[in-house]
Amino acid sequence: MAEALVIRNLSKRFGGLRAVQDVSFSVNENETVALIGPNGAGKTTSFNLITGFHRPDEGSVVAFGREIVGLRPHDICAYGLARTFQVARPFGRMTVLDNVMTGAFLRDKNPDTAREKAREAIEFVGLSAREKTPARDLTTIDQRRLEMARALATQPRLLLLDEVMAGLNPSEIDQAVALVGKLSTRGLTIVIVEHVMRAIMSVARHIVVLDHGQKIAEGSPKEVVANEDVIRAYLGSSYAHVPVLDET
Amino acid sequence: MLETVAQAVVNGLLIGGIYALVSIGVTLIFGVVKIVNFAQGEFVMLGMYISFFLATQFGIDPIASLVVSMPVLFVAGVLIQHFLIRRVLGLDDMPQIFLTFALSLLLINLALMLFTANYRTIHTWYSDESLHFGGINVPMAKLIAFVLAMVLSGALWVFLHTTDLGKAMRASAQNREVAMLMGINPNRVFCIALGVALALAGAAGSLLMPFYPVYPMVGQIFVLMAFVAVVLGTLGNVIGALVASLMMGVAESLGIQFVGADSGLIVVFLMLLLTLAFRPNGLAGGRARQ
Amino acid sequence: MILGLRTRNVAWLGVAVVILLALPLVVRNSFAINIFIRILLFAFIGVAWNLMGGYAKQLSLGHAAYFGLGAYTSTLLQIDFGISPWIGMFAGGVVAMLASLPIGALCFRLRGPYFAIATIATAQVLMLIFLKFRDFAWGAEGTTIPNLGNAPLMMQFDAKAAYYYIALGLLALGLAITYLIERSWMGYYLVAIGEDEDAAEAIGVNAPRVKRDIYMISSFLTALAGTFYVQFIYFIDPNIAFNFSVSIEAALVSIVGGIGTLWGPVIGTVLLETTSALLQRWLGSSFVGVQLTVYSLILMAVILWRPTGLIGVLTDACARITRRAPARV
Repeated sequence: MAEALVIRNLSKRFGGLRAVQDVSFSVNENETVALIGPNGAGKTTSFNLITGFHRPDEGSVVAFGREIVGLRPHDICAYGLARTFQVARPFGRMTVLDNVMTGAFLRDKNPDTAREKAREAIEFVGLSAREKTPARDLTTIDQRRLEMARALATQPRLLLLDEVMAGLNPSEIDQAVALVGKLSTRGLTIVIVEHVMRAIMSVARHIVVLDHGQKIAEGSPKEVVANEDVIRAYLGSSYAHVPVLDET
Repeated sequence: MLETVAQAVVNGLLIGGIYALVSIGVTLIFGVVKIVNFAQGEFVMLGMYISFFLATQFGIDPIASLVVSMPVLFVAGVLIQHFLIRRVLGLDDMPQIFLTFALSLLLINLALMLFTANYRTIHTWYSDESLHFGGINVPMAKLIAFVLAMVLSGALWVFLHTTDLGKAMRASAQNREVAMLMGINPNRVFCIALGVALALAGAAGSLLMPFYPVYPMVGQIFVLMAFVAVVLGTLGNVIGALVASLMMGVAESLGIQFVGADSGLIVVFLMLLLTLAFRPNGLAGGRARQ
Repeated sequence: MILGLRTRNVAWLGVAVVILLALPLVVRNSFAINIFIRILLFAFIGVAWNLMGGYAKQLSLGHAAYFGLGAYTSTLLQIDFGISPWIGMFAGGVVAMLASLPIGALCFRLRGPYFAIATIATAQVLMLIFLKFRDFAWGAEGTTIPNLGNAPLMMQFDAKAAYYYIALGLLALGLAITYLIERSWMGYYLVAIGEDEDAAEAIGVNAPRVKRDIYMISSFLTALAGTFYVQFIYFIDPNIAFNFSVSIEAALVSIVGGIGTLWGPVIGTVLLETTSALLQRWLGSSFVGVQLTVYSLILMAVILWRPTGLIGVLTDACARITRRAPARV
């Protein structure tokens, strides 16, 4: 299977802080990979490095066969990588439709076509009823949906989702999980940063764990959950030797 | 030749001290309140007019008038923060920029209406006196201004680093939300920041009066210098603003000496250019991100 | 629907156009026509500024740089080479466009207030250059343009009304361009950049290029106004050409009227220029400082009370009026 994203030796410091240190992992096409780790582990920074918002000090990011380190964010988006932000950043002054159209214009400058494509993306995330609402008047959750719709409107091949499920109640999480599943069915490659374990387990077969900027574990959900280093990172060393119940 | 350079450097440092008072105020406001005060120069102008009128009406020496100009401007700062700036703090760039910009316009034109565009000067016993060190000529008025400017800057530094209020200001500058969680009232901190910054501007004005004319637009020159110094010294960094101001004073002075009398603006622009090209985050800010 | 506008709006527009076209024929008072011309001209400058400052929130306070470049280019071409200002106007626009490239490259490195300061500096530097260098552009004294009487081909007219129509044409041009951009992908991109430049980049908006392009358009249009102004007052000097108050008014009319809207600059100009004209009438020579004092108070009032501009007030008022009328299809 072809590799959609190959990250090798990615490193970035901010002053004295080593935000990301020598991180490497690969994502296959049409795979859904979860990137997890305690707060401050370097997950969002990794996203920023991948999508061109920061330049890595070292390392390479190869997406669909092409090195993208050094490209500007808009070029990376045009190339097929879209991302959402941890805190939604809608264009407050514009309506939902206009927001998503802005994303759609990447692929087609014709306003009517863009409007159509935008409507499709809006329907996909379930925001059709709010099409004409100014983005700043949306609830936080709807703003997250808008983020996703806007990113989808750019017709990405690889989608990077940053904590889209934070603060959702269980039924909303189920909806979000279903959405991610649908995207995967459409052929999208997805890298998802998440804290909500339930969602991760349902959505990803492949998990990468970061802590203090370094990759400490990688593997299937079962493997990762049983990994001592992972337990230590999340819960502290006193828990490292507690046996984990095997859930099938 | 060396003497000429040395003289120019000394001249530059002396005026740089005044620039420092103005730019420290700007950078303090920017660091704490997170807005750029376009009207900072106009408060220098106000300080100058206050000292001018105290001198001509009551014979009070400008240096002595510091005890009037500084508190008056401190109060002005508090009022401006409380009644005006507070209203635009949640909004985006445009209202914040244009509020202080409008204030600047207002003050300049009120001054124009009230005091006319005429240049006003005063003469003190030390206005024409100079000290001589080797071949270097140090005008007394400028030396006094420089020394007092450094004293005030030092006092500010002490205030920021040793008093609770000063630490509260620095905390708010670094992280407003956490500071609030610690029980720090942002509006109170902002009022103090504005008050202090404007007091420094007023002080700059009073210190300038013995050797510089006052007229409505006088603040514009100083504020332009100050802004570039703030960028060069890294936004929000008080020591950076001080150092950068001295550098700009020296650069301007060298420019005047070797290029021409009105090369001041060119120097400013060049320094802005160089900063943007090589160290966009300022001297203390490290390389720009991406 | 005609051209994407509701028929009712087109009708209103038609009425407005007829009134505007007929105005100089009906109003003969020279003072009044002067005011109308000023309103049209500064509304046009405001519209040009608004493309960049209103939609994309690149708050330039140095547009006088392009006003002056336009004015000087056409004057130089006219006086040194006898070229008609009609061509000179276009040439001025091109010069301004080209100047906006390095200026933009420099200034766009800064965001927010520091961008504004950098633009102020560029206009000031240009003024200084033109003040100092007498060799190519008459220095501080400036120059008059030769009075050729009625010479339409050289943009000089006996009838004031002619200047009125040119200014009206310029404004119409500016509004048309704004309208077309607003509805196109570029309009969306501009607003996106104005709202959140990084988020815009994340969805494929090439922000540096879009900013560069809109700056070119904005500066081109501003330069046209510069040429017109010289032709209107028959004189130019660096202080007039690069005057900070041009930069201020360019921004102010949009902010007061409605930043980032099509008609905002027009509304703002009508308010500010009318106020200014009235003040001049009442106060005459003690006018110095009063105009800008009033302007700054109006600006503060708008910012504190309605930062989105007065157009919001007007549309609300219109909505309230039309709601009372019986519903019509």
